[in-house]
Amino acid sequence: MTRLQPRKPFDGVRGRIALAALALTLAALAALLFGRYPTPGFMDPRSLSNDPLAFRVVLLVRLPRVIGALLLGAALGASGAALQFVFANPLVDAGFLGVSQGASFGAALTLLLGGGSLVLFGAAFGFAILALLMSIGMASRIRFGGAVLRLLLSGMAVSSFFSALVALLKYGADPLKSLPEITYWLMGGLSGTSWKTLSVAAPIALLSIIALVSLRWRTALLSLDEATAASLGARPRLERAVILGVAAAGVAAVTAMAGVVAWVGLIVPHLARLALGGDGSPTVPGSAILGALFVVVCDALSRGLFSGELPLGVTTSLIGTVAFFALLVGRRVNVERG
Amino acid sequence: MEFVDVSYRYKGEQEDALLGFSLKLLPGCAMALLGSNGSGKSTVLGLGAGWLHASSGKVECAGPVAFLPQTERLAFSFTCLEYVSFGRAPHLPYLAVPSSADRDKARTALVEVGMGTKSNRRITALSGGELQLVRIARALAQEAAYVLLDEPSDMLDPAHVATIGQAIRRLADSGAGVLFSTHDLAFALACADETAMMRSGRLGAVGPAAATLTCEALGELYGTPFGLRSLPVPLHGIVAGPPARPRI
Repeated sequence: MTRLQPRKPFDGVRGRIALAALALTLAALAALLFGRYPTPGFMDPRSLSNDPLAFRVVLLVRLPRVIGALLLGAALGASGAALQFVFANPLVDAGFLGVSQGASFGAALTLLLGGGSLVLFGAAFGFAILALLMSIGMASRIRFGGAVLRLLLSGMAVSSFFSALVALLKYGADPLKSLPEITYWLMGGLSGTSWKTLSVAAPIALLSIIALVSLRWRTALLSLDEATAASLGARPRLERAVILGVAAAGVAAVTAMAGVVAWVGLIVPHLARLALGGDGSPTVPGSAILGALFVVVCDALSRGLFSGELPLGVTTSLIGTVAFFALLVGRRVNVERG
Repeated sequence: MEFVDVSYRYKGEQEDALLGFSLKLLPGCAMALLGSNGSGKSTVLGLGAGWLHASSGKVECAGPVAFLPQTERLAFSFTCLEYVSFGRAPHLPYLAVPSSADRDKARTALVEVGMGTKSNRRITALSGGELQLVRIARALAQEAAYVLLDEPSDMLDPAHVATIGQAIRRLADSGAGVLFSTHDLAFALACADETAMMRSGRLGAVGPAAATLTCEALGELYGTPFGLRSLPVPLHGIVAGPPARPRI
């Protein structure tokens, strides 16, 4: 008597995620062979065994970079998707919590005062987390509005505060030496990625990604009304704080490694929803995979397309906006009326 | 579920929203909560759901509670099935996602409210009435001992009101205690076993629906005269308005 629907959508989402993962694997392998050595374009895979220098370029330069790009994209994508659920707002990413601006300030301070790559990582990571704590601390002191509104308001204030501090540092920086360094770092890029910085950033980013993917369904649940989520057994305040912390740690780690790479956390979840054909919890793993794919491709193009390297943040924004616009315009129906 | 001498005051307010409120809701009983706007109905439901905490007195509850607030923000277009599957959350370990058994329960709940054919439809593409049915399906999938609904028939067409009334009846008949607030007196009369009347944060008359919903009691409750008027079928019921002149 109870006729049930066929189970297509769930299987469909799994299939599409597998397809995206396959595309990601192929793109990562291709990115290893893509660059400007020995000639611009793709390298013949056979030269890995004939040409010792080619082998060293791939192992010591391209491999850490591709891994860095994978983690960067996956962490930004997954955290963007998770934060959009937590804030019940599809126009949010980690930048709204002041995380990116905090990291920028830490990095700019190190570039101004001097310090090695690990010091820079530490300062960027530390200030990113500080910015998050400031956002949450301020939000808890605001006496009006819902939890989400308070977090957004305080996050925006903290973000602007650190932007102002960065501007101050840039204003005081040596225009011939540290200013260009700071400016370049702020545009984001993986050119400085080595096994050393990766060994610090990767574990944090990886743990964050795994945790966000494991928490995906609970995260989607938090996008429901607070009273509803609570009656479904969730503890919205605690769970929200946990997810914010996990997402921010991942973003802080990759931002400390690669600088501010804008646009990925905001837009990739939307691409994931389009690609998966739904808004449910698979958006989080979908965004991790598509974010990684997007950044790997953008980074390969950044370093291989021209003789000078383009900043990654510029490439992601240029390609991302055009691709996104094309997708939006190409999709004839955007509200499904079944 | 029992409210024992419960008072509640919202933060920053001068007056109690609820004062010395005592009420008992038994399993298998559907109870309608009536009262004018601001009389404290939503506060009672929030306290019962554990969403608000009593300033004094206590709310005792023997079993899990499902709560449907009057409105819900819909930031994302989940499918009906995904949305109803959220109802399974209390039954799942923390990091688990719904199993196929959970999804089957969600599908069954959708079938029960007549939305079985729309399980893959996006919730943002539903009409107000369909959305309300899907939310009730979520409460069904939750399999809670008590279900609290804040104005479930609000702004719906008569057909959807009837379907929701049936769903409430089915919940109560299956042994759940159902408490819902409403301004729709005909709806209350049609699906509630009992009615409780509230005025300015205090509980008034409680009793079987047919016996409690008298013109005198309603007139006092809402502060406007009520009368019985014969109306063409199917508008029989109690309607607000001045007493009608006798028909000749």
